[in-house]
Amino acid sequence: MKKTFILLMLSAFILLAALASAPDPAKVAEAPPPPPKKVFEDGSPWKAVDQEAAMERARQVPEFVKTVLKESPAERKMRLGEKMPTLADVPYRYMIIDSPILKSPPFDFLSQESAGSSFPGLKIGDIYGPVRFMHLKHAAVVKDCTKCHHYKPDQPDASETTECSACHQKPFDPEFPERPGLKAAYHQQCMGCHQKENKGPTDCTGCHAKNPPDHSVLVKLPDHPDPLMVTKECLRCHDHTANDMLTSAHWLWRGPSPYTVGAEKRVDMGKATNTINNFCVALTSNWPRCTSCHAGYGWKDANFDFSDKTRMDCLICHDTTLTYAKVPTEAGMPYPQLDLKKIAQSVGKPSRKTCGDCHFQGGGGDAVKHGDMNGILYYPSRNCDVHMGGMDFQCHECHKTRNHKISGRSLSLPVAEGSRSCQDCHTDSPHKFHTGEGHEDHNLLNHHLNRHTEHLHCQTCHSPVYAKCKPSKSWWDWSKAGDKKRKVQKDKYGMPDYSWQKGEFQWKESAKPEYLWYNGKVSRHLIGDKINPEETVRLTFPNGGIADPESRIYPFKSMRGKQMADAGNHILIVPHLYGPEGYWKTLDWDSAFEKGMKAAGLDYSGKYEWVETVMYWGLTHETIPAKNALGCVQCHSALKGEKTCNRCHQDNRNVNFKKLAEKGTDFEFMASQGRDVSHLVGQSDYLNFEALGYKGDPIIYGGRFKKLPLGNETAGMEN
Amino acid sequence: MQITRRSLFKIMGAAGGLSAIGSRAAAAENTSDDDYGCLADVGRCIGCRKCEMACSKVNALPPAQTSFEDMTVFDRNRRPDEAAFTVVNRYFSSRADERGQPVPAYIKVQCMHCLHPACASACITGALKKQENGAVTYNPSRCIGCRYCMIACPFQIPAYEFSDPLTPRVRKCTFCFENISKQGGLPGCAAICPVEALTFGTRSELLKIAHQRISEAPLEYVQKVYGEHEVGGTSWLYISKVPFEKLGLYPLPEKEIPHLTETIQHSIFAYMWAPITLFGILAGAMRFFNPQQMSGKPSQIQTEKEV
Repeated sequence: MKKTFILLMLSAFILLAALASAPDPAKVAEAPPPPPKKVFEDGSPWKAVDQEAAMERARQVPEFVKTVLKESPAERKMRLGEKMPTLADVPYRYMIIDSPILKSPPFDFLSQESAGSSFPGLKIGDIYGPVRFMHLKHAAVVKDCTKCHHYKPDQPDASETTECSACHQKPFDPEFPERPGLKAAYHQQCMGCHQKENKGPTDCTGCHAKNPPDHSVLVKLPDHPDPLMVTKECLRCHDHTANDMLTSAHWLWRGPSPYTVGAEKRVDMGKATNTINNFCVALTSNWPRCTSCHAGYGWKDANFDFSDKTRMDCLICHDTTLTYAKVPTEAGMPYPQLDLKKIAQSVGKPSRKTCGDCHFQGGGGDAVKHGDMNGILYYPSRNCDVHMGGMDFQCHECHKTRNHKISGRSLSLPVAEGSRSCQDCHTDSPHKFHTGEGHEDHNLLNHHLNRHTEHLHCQTCHSPVYAKCKPSKSWWDWSKAGDKKRKVQKDKYGMPDYSWQKGEFQWKESAKPEYLWYNGKVSRHLIGDKINPEETVRLTFPNGGIADPESRIYPFKSMRGKQMADAGNHILIVPHLYGPEGYWKTLDWDSAFEKGMKAAGLDYSGKYEWVETVMYWGLTHETIPAKNALGCVQCHSALKGEKTCNRCHQDNRNVNFKKLAEKGTDFEFMASQGRDVSHLVGQSDYLNFEALGYKGDPIIYGGRFKKLPLGNETAGMEN
Repeated sequence: MQITRRSLFKIMGAAGGLSAIGSRAAAAENTSDDDYGCLADVGRCIGCRKCEMACSKVNALPPAQTSFEDMTVFDRNRRPDEAAFTVVNRYFSSRADERGQPVPAYIKVQCMHCLHPACASACITGALKKQENGAVTYNPSRCIGCRYCMIACPFQIPAYEFSDPLTPRVRKCTFCFENISKQGGLPGCAAICPVEALTFGTRSELLKIAHQRISEAPLEYVQKVYGEHEVGGTSWLYISKVPFEKLGLYPLPEKEIPHLTETIQHSIFAYMWAPITLFGILAGAMRFFNPQQMSGKPSQIQTEKEV
């Protein structure tokens, strides 16, 4: 009896406690969003597989090699003859240089703390992080394994390519006084070669990521500081950095536009001034909503002071707690519930989270704008993005940043502070050696694949579908907006087809991109440009053509929609959407257009119409693992029939040409994983050669600049 | 025989000179082949300034004015001071690379830890001392702030805390004395050097390495180890691909700097023979010239003269 009573009381107490802790729905809406969960799509804990494997290898310390075979490079080549190691002997294409030897005695005292230094809270051994090393790429570029693996251990069965850390371990070893320690061996070898060959970085941060000092001892703030106090505290030490930031694209939302046709020398273009899109259209008159992604506080109207450093938001990029978030409608102010002191005291390098909170979520929601970036990339699987998922790349590792100017460019916006391409790391002949079982024959293709790089951007084959892991918006019809009664339907991906505020939508998942010639230049429709209402207005369009040697085929997401235009003046309208007098409150287009156009300084005739627009977005992310890139047959239908490689090659040396040509993106597997790609299975016209300006499949008709010497019409007729 | 003041000095000088023959200064009594040293290979140094950073950290020096990543400091030559025991300077040699750009040479400057340190010799209180492991160390509790060491040093290394009016110290590289006294310990700069431009070891071993390195690349390296013989030898040694004069390492005499002064002083005061001789001679002279005084009638003369 007593027991039941106690149990009863206990359960009542638990129930009460649960009720008390149940969140108030009104408060939930105001609370900052929780950090993204570190899990795969299926809910299992996330890990970067290639990275972890490389780190595990880096931890191994091999047995010390005492004596090596002293021979000159020439002697060694003579001794080895055809047994010289080749790319086939490269066991690991990717490595992390982070041996425990580098931090063991006598380097252990580097991990001591001492007062008065200029790096408080940071052990000097920890200023620089480990190095990511593209082993296979180096092997392929250097072409001679023995250049780095310069001596062989003096044992008959030792490997010709024994790892560095077997011979080089402790520095200043009295027994081996002239043998550099591991750290010096790496630096001498890497920097020496980079210097000699005039290739590759020779500065510290060219190879190492730099770790920020522990700011918990540096940042001095009262409890519950306001955001501007935090910035002031940052400026106490980083005033020069703020000066760099003052002229950056992330602060000004405008800047140099070297890749926009006709505006190569301009420095005033950008979201802040004159670009227009077919999502939420334009910034002007809608500031407080749009500027929730601005790296600043309080850009709520046209009068924001861009010279006021104290209004910069350092935390939006440098938060490492993954908790910092801005209120979507407060002109860039963060959620007041956040512990800004704690966030400021743990600042560090940006991450996929800090970049992604704006760049994954552009256009008002996850995956809306970019076809190749979405919230999945916070913690993607290797198949979703091989760099971020396989090797845990953070955004800034590719988008190298100097003085707060972040390299990289896009089609959607004109501002560029430097450019990045796959070739920067992977070179112009990136197909080197395919490792792994079943890929031996694949290396026969490398010659042909490397010649593709003159005519295709890497993404064309290596990102065969976009919005691979999450549907992205592909159609937005503003003309349908305003019907509060219309029932919102879910499409086959579970995405809404309508919003009374915004109109009608369509979404695409794992979609085939549009392929166009692209030479890096973009034609851009700006606010105030005249339109032809009869034609689809191209808001952004990649320049290029088959006859232009600078142009290569590139994949795009085309965002199409209907948006508002001035029927009298024939210009696109800047609508006033957000605010007490905006369309989303009043549902009155006339007033919204008048106010928006007035704010934009444009004449509004009073009559409007809906015009179709298209906006091209380049696709660079979501790189698929190499073995899943498009295969020969998927584009070259000429290889699909009986004759494949043996159209030209007579000698087949037991190579199964058919199998080789038909290897490629496994759409069947992707479909089995729930991706909407079943219609792509078995396709052999992934690229439409005729649409790109070719006469037909270049295998039959020749390339754009090269006529096939023995080209023959009948060859094409067999298929 | 008339002995004037001047002739007396002549005799003394001759005596001192005589005793100096065959007896070298005794300042080197602490040094041996097992002394630690450091070999700085100017050809390897990349000018990363990490040694400066490690030095600052290990010795708990005041925070630097500018970041250790600021390479604009190379625009002027610097000297070690009370806030930086070591600095790296950049010199442009006459060499140019394939693109015609002058090739920089970086040289780390710090106390050379001479085998016969002039600073220690000049120090009147023994605050500076050549330790058995090779380091020349400074004991602030003995220092009286005369700064003779700063004048004596042939490399202009010791600096003084002029900014501290109450307890100013002479500051210079310590060779991380405490670290290298431990088994397997390293000076901060050598430990952090990413390219082993600094090699730490016993001086005899380092000399072997240095000679091996320069003789293996005779077209690249200057065939000389700076510090092997300069001012009687230093614990820090330099080898370089550009002439040493172009790096601020000027030719210096091979004789240890304190040689002359110490020879004179040490030979004069050895076994107290000089004072004894001097006072003996003086006593003899007095006896010779003034026999009356010895016979016990000094007052008479005085009285006579007064009268």
